[in-house]
Amino acid sequence: MTISLRSPLGIAMLVLTALAFGYLLLPILVVVAAPLGDTGYLAFPPQGLTLKWYAAALHDTRYLTALLVSLRIAVISAIIACALGVSAAYALTRFDFPGRRLLEAVFLSPLILPTLVLAVGLTLFFTRTGLLAGPWKLVAGHVIVCTPYVLRVSLPVLRRFDRSLEEAARNLGASPVAAFFLVVLPVVRPGIVAGTVLAFITSFDEVVLALFLAEPGAPTLPVTIYSAVQLGFEPSVAAVSGLLVLATLGFMLLYHLLGSVGRSRN
Amino acid sequence: MARFAPVLLFAPCAFAYAVFFIWPQASLLAMSATEKAGFTLAQYERFFVDSYYWEMLGRTLWLGFAVTAITLLLGVPTAYLLARSQSRWASFLLLLTTFPLLVSAVVRSFGWMVLFFRDGLLSRTLLALGIVNHPVQTMYTMTGVIIALAQVLLPLMILTLHGVFKSIDRDLEYAAMSLGARPSVALGLVTFRLASGGIVAGSLLVFSLAISAFATPSLVGGARANVMATAIYEQAVELLDWPFAAALATILLVVVLAVSLAYGALLEGRADKEASR
Repeated sequence: MTISLRSPLGIAMLVLTALAFGYLLLPILVVVAAPLGDTGYLAFPPQGLTLKWYAAALHDTRYLTALLVSLRIAVISAIIACALGVSAAYALTRFDFPGRRLLEAVFLSPLILPTLVLAVGLTLFFTRTGLLAGPWKLVAGHVIVCTPYVLRVSLPVLRRFDRSLEEAARNLGASPVAAFFLVVLPVVRPGIVAGTVLAFITSFDEVVLALFLAEPGAPTLPVTIYSAVQLGFEPSVAAVSGLLVLATLGFMLLYHLLGSVGRSRN
Repeated sequence: MARFAPVLLFAPCAFAYAVFFIWPQASLLAMSATEKAGFTLAQYERFFVDSYYWEMLGRTLWLGFAVTAITLLLGVPTAYLLARSQSRWASFLLLLTTFPLLVSAVVRSFGWMVLFFRDGLLSRTLLALGIVNHPVQTMYTMTGVIIALAQVLLPLMILTLHGVFKSIDRDLEYAAMSLGARPSVALGLVTFRLASGGIVAGSLLVFSLAISAFATPSLVGGARANVMATAIYEQAVELLDWPFAAALATILLVVVLAVSLAYGALLEGRADKEASR
């Protein structure tokens, strides 16, 4: 550390950093802790200690159904985004053709487009054309939002990939397709997995497109929580949110554990 | 065959983008500027002659500036310390920074709502500290939206800046110090100067996300802290005035694009300046 943490500047930076972490974690802590209180309303810090709101949340079929809707849409969107993104990234890094840079810019552009603008455009589009039905409207929207994430993660990974490995496989008689699946894919897989996981999380957490495009009878979990929060402050909504936070934490730890196991094996 | 390989590979992606991204955006643009008789700017006129909408645009930009300022104030020191720390806790803390990003903005805004209500923790803390002498309502105010949205976007600022600080060689700071600069001067003259491009990039990212955010302003701000995003939703979903919603969406898009272009121009200007040195 160049800056002494005991100097006034160092102390100021430490204080601001501590503030930043407190600030980042406070609302998440609230959502997990508030439903533990046994008052009928939400309070933080919670008064008393009960698990009844958490139990109620687990038994509420509304949230369970919404969770399944969200999971299904996120899995389908992530798989499609992965397939579209990886094949496009491969074309963009492996071949040189006119308009390649423009195409890359277009493929990444949904990252700067406000999701709300996309949602309004897609709603109008689906109403006018009558294309797609049921959950597929939302999947289409999520694929557009998620593909740039897959691209952004897999483009640098594919660029770094040593192409002589692939050429060696081709010289040994592998077809281009076989060379891709046997040589390229195993090497770039961590990047592709990371991109797909990012796509899954983006779709799972996304609320704006879901508000516009989800089937009225089958809202996703973020939409269900959004509507419930707007209606009132039931402790059970907080409990559902709390469970979601804990599940996310578990998911993140598991992902890192698997990641470090994978790295130590290589 | 080999000549068509790249086309075959990017065609599915290009097709999906053409149908579900470019076409809908083009028809959105068209809808905002047409009526039965043909081309019209009536929807835009409605926006620009009404001071109510000017105020709303101003409020939206103010939200963007305030959120960017808060995330810079907290993000710069945090990212710097995390990038320079050799402790094994640094990677754990970085992971802790990404965690809130994985939690839906709806859930995080909900956490703030519990704190913001009249008898919530924030109000009680301010009372106990003697800063206010009567309970304050932060819910349904712009202050509440700014506090909540800055938390939602802070991880992105920290992660962007962390990458920037990591890429700046710390030996440069030592070199400046060995030439007699005080640590704070070395930091200001060397590191922050080299990082300024990244700091601008992070700020523009946070700014454009802040002015287009919907979930947090809608939940924490409600009807009283109306911004562009909530107005678009209201026009489209509640009032079913789609042409006006399309015009509002286009205006928001233009602002966001202008921010992105400014960012691109800034980067290019910087590159030119470097090249001419």
